Amino acid sequence: MIWVSNLLLATVRMAVPLLFIALAELYSERAGMVNIGLEGLAAIGSLVGFLVCFITGSTWLGILCGALAGIAVNMIYAFATITLCADHTVYGMAINIFAPALASFIYRVYFGAGSELSQITLMRGVAIPVLKDIPFVGELLFNQTPMVYLAIALVIFTCIFFNRTRAGLNYRSVGEHPKAAATLGIPVVGIKYLSCVLCGALAGIGGAYLTTCYANTYTEGNVAGRGFIALAAVIFGRWSGGGILVACLFFGFCDALQIRLQVGSFGVPYQFFQMIPYIATIAALSMLGAKKGGPLANGKPYRREER
Amino acid sequence: MKKMQKFLTSFTVPVLSILLAFVIGAVIMLLLGANPGEAFKYLFVGAFGSTANIGTTLTKATPLIFTALCACFAYKCGVFNLGGEGQFIIGSVATFYVAYCSGVTGFFGIILSLLAGTLAGGLWGWIPGILKITRGQNEMIISIMLNYVATLFMGVVYTNWLRDASVPQTMPVPDALKLPRVFAGMRFSWAFVIAVFVGLALYYVLYWTSGGFKLRAVGLNMTASRFNGFPVKRYILTSFVISGAIAGLGGGAELLGTQFRLINGFGAGYGFDGVAIALIGQLHPIATVVVALFFAALRTGSTTMQAASGVPTSVSDIIQALVIVFSVAGMALIKLPEFEVFRLRLFGKRKEADKS
Repeated sequence: MIWVSNLLLATVRMAVPLLFIALAELYSERAGMVNIGLEGLAAIGSLVGFLVCFITGSTWLGILCGALAGIAVNMIYAFATITLCADHTVYGMAINIFAPALASFIYRVYFGAGSELSQITLMRGVAIPVLKDIPFVGELLFNQTPMVYLAIALVIFTCIFFNRTRAGLNYRSVGEHPKAAATLGIPVVGIKYLSCVLCGALAGIGGAYLTTCYANTYTEGNVAGRGFIALAAVIFGRWSGGGILVACLFFGFCDALQIRLQVGSFGVPYQFFQMIPYIATIAALSMLGAKKGGPLANGKPYRREER
Repeated sequence: MKKMQKFLTSFTVPVLSILLAFVIGAVIMLLLGANPGEAFKYLFVGAFGSTANIGTTLTKATPLIFTALCACFAYKCGVFNLGGEGQFIIGSVATFYVAYCSGVTGFFGIILSLLAGTLAGGLWGWIPGILKITRGQNEMIISIMLNYVATLFMGVVYTNWLRDASVPQTMPVPDALKLPRVFAGMRFSWAFVIAVFVGLALYYVLYWTSGGFKLRAVGLNMTASRFNGFPVKRYILTSFVISGAIAGLGGGAELLGTQFRLINGFGAGYGFDGVAIALIGQLHPIATVVVALFFAALRTGSTTMQAASGVPTSVSDIIQALVIVFSVAGMALIKLPEFEVFRLRLFGKRKEADKS
């Protein structure tokens, strides 16, 4: 029983960074911006979050600066894809190469070539009174770091925003049919830029979570494909907040499971367990089938003058 | 005239991007308190200063050429193969198994090992291809996930199955199966020659055969190709398999030519580097080979630069990353109608100036 509750606890912890990154992609794609540079955005967010936390000692400041770093890098993507009409996928890939290189450069310049490991204190958990006393669920959902609550709140907000508010519907229309949106007076380019700000911030927070709330140090490649798993989570979650939550919990569960199984070992090389999240992603996507989903004008450049 | 102009513009963007990246690199060096002129001199000397250095540059270029051609070929058919790294690694693992365990030696053994690597890479590329055409899956995500699976699988091989006693690495491949060097004094082996040959072969296939033409047509406009009766799905699958096979061959050649054993970090990063190189080379196989050489020169030179002028090697990583950021944006920029207007205005003014 303890094994199971530990597993579920780890599931929530592993799902949260994915959730932030996947929501980043959702906000981006709802405005028609396919951003595959999430891995890079999370990498830079992760480094800046760690560095700021290391210098100031404040995890909150670290997460805030991680978000700002994500926004800053994503503005390059925004300018190239919105204003210059560069191919979204190609430019996302450029971000994926640029941002991690920048992150490791900053790390090496700041810490030098020394191999000594710099560590920070992780964000402490905050228990919510009364709710935390609910057996099982209380421990799982109401005795976590504030980031977990923030993630859950964001999912709820996202669901309401995209389905129940006029602003959300306007936002969606940019991703579905930008020209129709423009004729209704919706500032298409502005919303596209806004979507990139949101995407950069959320992906940066997702990355910063990894260093300030999960592992207490920064290592190169610590994002470990989460940017791409998050992309899969958006497809798997059918571009809805609730769906993404379920998908992230599933992928988080796979991640938690592989860590638990490694401890058990059973004489099997541990790498086979580490493969679980990646294979689960492939399997989940393949089972989903070829049904086309997502915003209609996803990934298409928008030019006002064009007919 | 128009063709000439197009040819020139396709050169201008990468060259300007490289210059711009170097300028920013110089600013970073100044901020770090180093002398950029000095540093760039050592960068150049380190890459091309002696025959030994040139040999190292060519050696470093070899895997990059393979993964870049891998990315280039798939993208020519309109699909994004980000799995170059996984295909490279799986190719090297298969090559290692055949080289180490089969007992076949000599020239035939080398051919057999490389063939195994090529097949394994092709198979690894087949997976995202088949999932794309039958299940409509996003080939980028699938191929990236397979990179991690391949890296972990290689981990099983060198930490468990074929571990070299206490060290987490495999034994070296038998001496008889190592790819010989082209010239005795220089480090680079026949692997480099194979890489360049593959580049030339791809150029021939893509631009001088009807199959290559159709493949490019599919890449340019899938719908039009389908209405013209091209078997689009078959082309996509083929391009994935061939692209994977190129990376797999690269993994095998890197193993037999340079690394000799599987070890932590083998092939790491080559997949994404390959994509970057192919994009800067504007998906032209020969340009891709040239850009790969340039990237390799930056890498080889940066170690000398660090030793001589104290500028960390990661500055050269930043320069490489900036080149891709600038060149992709630049290529989009010159396609904008506004840019055409701007260029004509500049051009027109010059003509008027000539008249007066």
